Amino acid sequence: MNRKILVRNNVNLLGNGTQPMMFAHGFGCDQNMWRFVTPAFEDDYRIVLFDYVGSGKSKLHAYSPERYSSLNGYVQDVLDICTALDLSNIVFVGHSVSSMVGILASIQAPERFDRLILVGPSPCYINDPPDYVGGFERADIEGLLDMIDKNYIGWASFLAPVVMKNADQAELTQELQESFCSTDPQIARRFAEATFFSDNRKDLAKVPVPSLIMQCSDDAIAPLAVGDYLHQHLPESVLRVMQANGHCPHMSHPEETIQIMQNYLTESRT
Amino acid sequence: MDDLVKTAPCGFLEFADDGTILAANPMLLEVLEYQPGELEGRSINLVLSVPGRIFYQTHFFPLLKLHAKVEEIYLSLRSKSGRDVPVLLNAARRERDGAAVNDCVLIPIQQRSQYEDELLRAKKAAEEATQAKDDFLALVSHELRTPLNAILGWVRMVRTEELDEEIVKRALETIERSAKSQAQLIEDILDFSRIISGKLRLDVGRVEPVDVIEASLDVVSPAAEAKGIRLRSVLDPRAGPISGDPDRLQQVMWNLLSNAIKFTAKGGEVQVRLERIHSHVEISVSDTGQGISAEFLPYVFDRFRQANSTGSKRHGGLGLGMAITRQIIELHGGSIRADSAGQGRGATFAIELPLMIIHNRKHVSPTTAEQASFTGRQNEPLSRLPRLDGLHVLLTDDESEARELLSAVLKRSGADVTAVATVAEALEKLQLTKPDLIVSDIEMPGEDGYSLIRRVRSLGKAEGGTTPAIALTAHARFSDRMRALSAGFQMHVSKPVEPAELVTLVANLTNLRLSL
Repeated sequence: MNRKILVRNNVNLLGNGTQPMMFAHGFGCDQNMWRFVTPAFEDDYRIVLFDYVGSGKSKLHAYSPERYSSLNGYVQDVLDICTALDLSNIVFVGHSVSSMVGILASIQAPERFDRLILVGPSPCYINDPPDYVGGFERADIEGLLDMIDKNYIGWASFLAPVVMKNADQAELTQELQESFCSTDPQIARRFAEATFFSDNRKDLAKVPVPSLIMQCSDDAIAPLAVGDYLHQHLPESVLRVMQANGHCPHMSHPEETIQIMQNYLTESRT
Repeated sequence: MDDLVKTAPCGFLEFADDGTILAANPMLLEVLEYQPGELEGRSINLVLSVPGRIFYQTHFFPLLKLHAKVEEIYLSLRSKSGRDVPVLLNAARRERDGAAVNDCVLIPIQQRSQYEDELLRAKKAAEEATQAKDDFLALVSHELRTPLNAILGWVRMVRTEELDEEIVKRALETIERSAKSQAQLIEDILDFSRIISGKLRLDVGRVEPVDVIEASLDVVSPAAEAKGIRLRSVLDPRAGPISGDPDRLQQVMWNLLSNAIKFTAKGGEVQVRLERIHSHVEISVSDTGQGISAEFLPYVFDRFRQANSTGSKRHGGLGLGMAITRQIIELHGGSIRADSAGQGRGATFAIELPLMIIHNRKHVSPTTAEQASFTGRQNEPLSRLPRLDGLHVLLTDDESEARELLSAVLKRSGADVTAVATVAEALEKLQLTKPDLIVSDIEMPGEDGYSLIRRVRSLGKAEGGTTPAIALTAHARFSDRMRALSAGFQMHVSKPVEPAELVTLVANLTNLRLSL
């Protein structure tokens, strides 16, 4: 069972430390996105990398539309891996939507988590006037779904069925990997819906562990106001506004990202 | 920037990892309505639509960073005036002076993008349609199998067990009911296939709506009685005539009434109204039944649809009746609408049909199979049918079982029957016995029914060449009926033959008075 989970989620373990540091990728990509920051932590931590079912090199046959139609399916992936590896005292590093996945996982299984590092987090992407600015209207997200459809246009008719049936054939998986970070268009669409239509503002107060909010200075997906909102509502949170802009500082500005993470981890130890 | 890039007939954009625009060529500037120098140093977000920004951050940039290139990305840009500009782009990443730069080639695809929208819409519609057909096929198989299982089960029982008379009677009733329901299913499927192939045709004549409605009420009243449902009718006999196919209008009324009865609980009421409103007649069927939810109301007349699939199990059927009904009404130049105040609050189906404009034109008497079979007596017991006493019928059918059955049906009504198996025998008996009427199967080995009737019609009157004839065929298609009629038959009955229908047709054709 444990092995099945590790294969299902393409779990990779690195590093020489004992405390687990679990990296969770965001929507649209896979564990590869962490490769610019993980080397800095290999000496001190046991690094856990994985792909959500439906992303990267996970096993597509394990995908179920019901399970992954809300963030809770992704939370279950994280908790399944924690159980399979019997992890505790985890430093959970989540990018974008995975920040919320980590928050929900820590509420469900507080005993497993030490702290959360949230990179470009947002508890709710859609504006909720007058008091909340998420940055987007529903129509913007519909536009994104349309863009996903068009970028996977060749997929839907040809590649997806082949890959779905031959999930174990290496060359096909390889092709999939290089043609896109994500997978089947239906999966990408559903992940986008689960991500951008979620509203986890009410969960923030329940988070049982300390957290670091890494807010980029000019992020089209998580505006500054969202970082402030999170800082106000997350107990024991630290807000760091980065010089980096964009939504993927761990890819565009890995040095600054590493520095802020290390400072936070050192400060919290002393 | 190279001259080549400046003059190239495509957009060119260069940006740094942090999204800062480093260069843009004249064509891109023109498409995005910016002046030279206006974009350099600004964020790429400036030229991306809002969805485009999300896609850039979640897909485009991570992929470019990880694989050093991306190909055939669809992205929507935003011009200075706020216009969406769909583009297709390739991008590659390289080192320059120790820093990474990302080069993109962009091709605006306004028309192609619209075309893709259409394609995607068409693809989704096609997928939904295929799914609906698959579901329908599964439903058809299930619905056909259910009565068949009952028939086979009872037949086996009757053949292998010693059963008392009461049970045998019940078995036969069940077999008959099941076979009828299966025949109705097949009729529906054939009608449906005529609709989708555009081959549903009307055999138009002058029709008095009140006659059609009364005949339909006769047919459904036993079912209503059995459920304790009160059937009320308020019919204005002056509402009419209309121009239409009485058979098809009968089918519509029967469908609306039997649906109303099916969806109304014991003790309810079904009401039919017929009135004249300006230049059309309106026929409405209202019930006090389970009603139609507001969500389902727009789909009532769609093919394959039945309100909630769990409910469909309870009621059975293919969900084709209403689609067929609407098609028939529309072919008559009329319209049909459904109303309901909601679930549990009854429903009303209202038909509007145009009045016949010329009232005094001489009416062609109904002699075709289409019209003559409009009897509305399919459920009548034989005892209430016209008598055929003294009538001599020549019956030709190569299958002995069918021959025996039809002989029995006709004999019970008082006819003398000469039954033969081949065309040669039929011709011989025709000369010898001078029958009043010929009933012949069409599909027979060797010489078939068409051949028989052609040879009969080539004979003189004294030799029986003008003897009226009824064709029997297994195919209920319009073209089959037409072929039978044009070969020389007066009427056509499709198999399985309804005894009541056959007896009524024989009576009609030989001008016997209906002794009801």
